[in-house]
Amino acid sequence: MSTLTTKPKKTKVAKPADPNRPHMYGMIAEFETPAQILKAAEKVRAEGYKWWDCCTPFPVHGLDKAMGIRQTILPIIVFFMGMSGTLTAFVLQAFTNATDWSVWAMVWVTGYPYLISGKPLLSTPAFIPVMFELTILFSALTTVGLMFAFNGLPQLYHPLFRSKRFRRASDDRFFVVIEARDPRYFKARTSEFLKSLDPVAIEEVED
Amino acid sequence: MSHAHVPIDLSDRNIELGSTGSVARLACFALGILALIAAILLAVTGNVEWPVFWRSWLQNWIFVLEISLGTLFFVFIQHLTKAGWSTVVRRPAEVLASNLNWLWLGFVPIAVLIFMGDAGKLFPWTDMAMLAEEAPEEAHLVEGKLAFLNVPFFMIRAAIYFIIWAFLGTWFLRMSIRQGRDGGLAATRTMQKMAPVAAILFGLSVTFAAFDWMMSLSPAWFSTMFGVYAFCGTATCGFSVMIIVCLLLQRNGYMVNLITREHYQDMGKFLFAFGMVFWAYIGFSQYMLIWYANIPEETGWFLARQLGEWGWFSAWLLFGHFCIPFVFLISRHPKRDWKTLMIAAVWMLFFGWFDVYWLVMPMIPHDLASFATYDAAAEAYASERTGIFRPVNWLLLVGMLSIFAGVTIGRLRSHPLVCRKDPWLDKSVGFENF
Repeated sequence: MSTLTTKPKKTKVAKPADPNRPHMYGMIAEFETPAQILKAAEKVRAEGYKWWDCCTPFPVHGLDKAMGIRQTILPIIVFFMGMSGTLTAFVLQAFTNATDWSVWAMVWVTGYPYLISGKPLLSTPAFIPVMFELTILFSALTTVGLMFAFNGLPQLYHPLFRSKRFRRASDDRFFVVIEARDPRYFKARTSEFLKSLDPVAIEEVED
Repeated sequence: MSHAHVPIDLSDRNIELGSTGSVARLACFALGILALIAAILLAVTGNVEWPVFWRSWLQNWIFVLEISLGTLFFVFIQHLTKAGWSTVVRRPAEVLASNLNWLWLGFVPIAVLIFMGDAGKLFPWTDMAMLAEEAPEEAHLVEGKLAFLNVPFFMIRAAIYFIIWAFLGTWFLRMSIRQGRDGGLAATRTMQKMAPVAAILFGLSVTFAAFDWMMSLSPAWFSTMFGVYAFCGTATCGFSVMIIVCLLLQRNGYMVNLITREHYQDMGKFLFAFGMVFWAYIGFSQYMLIWYANIPEETGWFLARQLGEWGWFSAWLLFGHFCIPFVFLISRHPKRDWKTLMIAAVWMLFFGWFDVYWLVMPMIPHDLASFATYDAAAEAYASERTGIFRPVNWLLLVGMLSIFAGVTIGRLRSHPLVCRKDPWLDKSVGFENF
């Protein structure tokens, strides 16, 4: 299942309020093969939709490119968080083992210059394993944490779960989902457009 | 699944070198032979002392050997993991690895030297009388190792390594060529069955070869991690050369639309992971245990690499082999762009050579243990020189590398650059990274 990692800006478009009509989440179109969804994704993108996604039972090669998904900024953040892990570990060990400074961190903390087997107090080689570990720890936590945040997880409920048809997205069918909040979303026009993609079925999903 | 929008071009024009490269091949041979002759002349005329010459010979020969061993590792690891992506880049690796069937020639002069009993300055354990005279305490330590470090057993071991390597290096190429001719899945299956055997033989032979040819230069010293360290060296040199060869072929108009940036990214990952990060990991693990335990008979080896100019040399090794290329190559973009990847590969190849220099060239002074402090030793040996700018090093490097390149070009010309009937060729061409 591929998701948009960098979401477009929210644009508010005034729509005629119809109290009799239930609020819609969007429209889904069902496809049978990866090749079809690739072609469909390219067309949806060309049509100018911004709030849309593809849902597939397994990763489809080339789908990101077809959908025009830009690369996420996550790796860059992870790199710098990893580096700060390295630095944190070094500063922590250098402060606690090689200085006698007192630092106020909620309570007064004092370094304890501790001579170990005649090595210099500031012995970087001894610090490196911990520096390595904290680099990994910071990177891993950042990766997982931001991956959840960027994808809006954990999400216990999603409007698409209403659709019985959509259940096959985790089995053997491929879906294009266009959300109703897209400024280009108009029921008649969007369903007309989706039909032109030659799907197996189209369904409107309530929010 | 494959998304090759462009049809796979398996025509001769795209994957057969044919008569191209004959000038380059001749130039390589000429340059190589000239450089070797010049290096030998330097030694004969007394401009270079013979022990220095042989040390440099050993170092450059091990460097060239590591290139082939690294590519051999690449070949069998693909079969071991049943990897499909690498099919289009495997033939250059197989050809590079097949050089193992003649690289033993470089060992012959050293073997002759040992048989003549003149190798005492190179492998001190071959001349115990000299060692006992110069450093009786060290000789005492080495005596306990003579059951392993003696000339006949040393030569038998060397012969075993060469047989293993020559067999594995040519076997994978032969099988792949046969498959390119006859097709079918049987050859792939056979190679996959051979891969684990190759992995075990490779691991053992590289480890013991490193013990024999590099660790025993300082026979009193020992490190069980040394074999893995040497393996990382083979990965550095082998993967760098593989990337360079693939890029050169493509820049000259071959393998068009076969090797894509997806493959380069993966080869870059291999270089990054094994040649850089794993190297640093193993190198540091070896250093830290010895540094921490601080036992004189172990620390001497590292101390010798910190005296005088060697201190800066070691720092260069750390930054040039790890820190700088790590930052440079960690992102996916430099691995996917041919220019940046080429820079990284050439850089890493140079530091692969630099690393072997660091392993082979320094000699541990015999009186190191007699100094009371580190500072006293550092001061006494403050004038130690690395000698890296000695012409003989560069002449031997150019000589051996050129001959290696010449033979490789010749072998690339005599076979298609890709296995035409490999069952996974489609899959490999359409391969994409996520």
